[in-house]
Amino acid sequence: MLAKYFGSGRSGAFDWYFQRVSGVGLLVTLFLHFFVLHYATEGPLTYAKVMARLSSPAWKAIDITFLVFAIYHAMNGFKLIIDDYVHGTGLRAILIGALWVLAIAFLGLGLLTIVSL
Amino acid sequence: MKVFQAKVRYKLHPGYIAWILHRATGIMLGLYLFLHIWVIHHLGQGEAAFNEVMAVVQSPFFHLMEIGLLGTVVYHGINGLRVVFIDYGNLAKREIMQKAVYAVFAVSALLIIVGAIPMARLALGL
Repeated sequence: MLAKYFGSGRSGAFDWYFQRVSGVGLLVTLFLHFFVLHYATEGPLTYAKVMARLSSPAWKAIDITFLVFAIYHAMNGFKLIIDDYVHGTGLRAILIGALWVLAIAFLGLGLLTIVSL
Repeated sequence: MKVFQAKVRYKLHPGYIAWILHRATGIMLGLYLFLHIWVIHHLGQGEAAFNEVMAVVQSPFFHLMEIGLLGTVVYHGINGLRVVFIDYGNLAKREIMQKAVYAVFAVSALLIIVGAIPMARLALGL
């Protein structure tokens, strides 16, 4: 019951609202991602084709938005599941802490990949 | 700490099935996201490293798994939209709610079948 210690500041309203916002955002960015990769790009995916697209700043911006939405939505979803099934404060803190580590690690890996190309 | 005990058995209402599927597909998509970021990060290590990892994930086994990915993504996305319309639209209304669930199932099934045909051909080399 982490919520108990944070008053209304930890009511979950932010999580609830932004799960919807990021979800709708993901529908848009995912559709774009899917369409570009499977319909607008011909033939098998090669290194050269991916690099040609990813070297443009506009695509970097779109992919960063996509990455942030996806990581946020996935991690918030996992947190929601932990909240539902894990009731002990200690275990919950450990699991949510691990989730933060995972989220930051994969956000970092993803950002590094997008920015460095 | 007071924890409410769950009822022994839930009724398998369509909305409940939709919720279970949403949760199950959500977990799978979260795991896929990690895999995807890890695979794509090989781009930064040059063409050889990227081709090596792509050769693994473009095997028939992974092409078949991708049909499952299409299914989870399509269902999770469309059902997610239904959830948003429960909160901000009128899909929570008693007489509409079940119909909306069935509509989500029908539309997802249609899109998955249409998408799975070319994917299955690719996976099986037809």
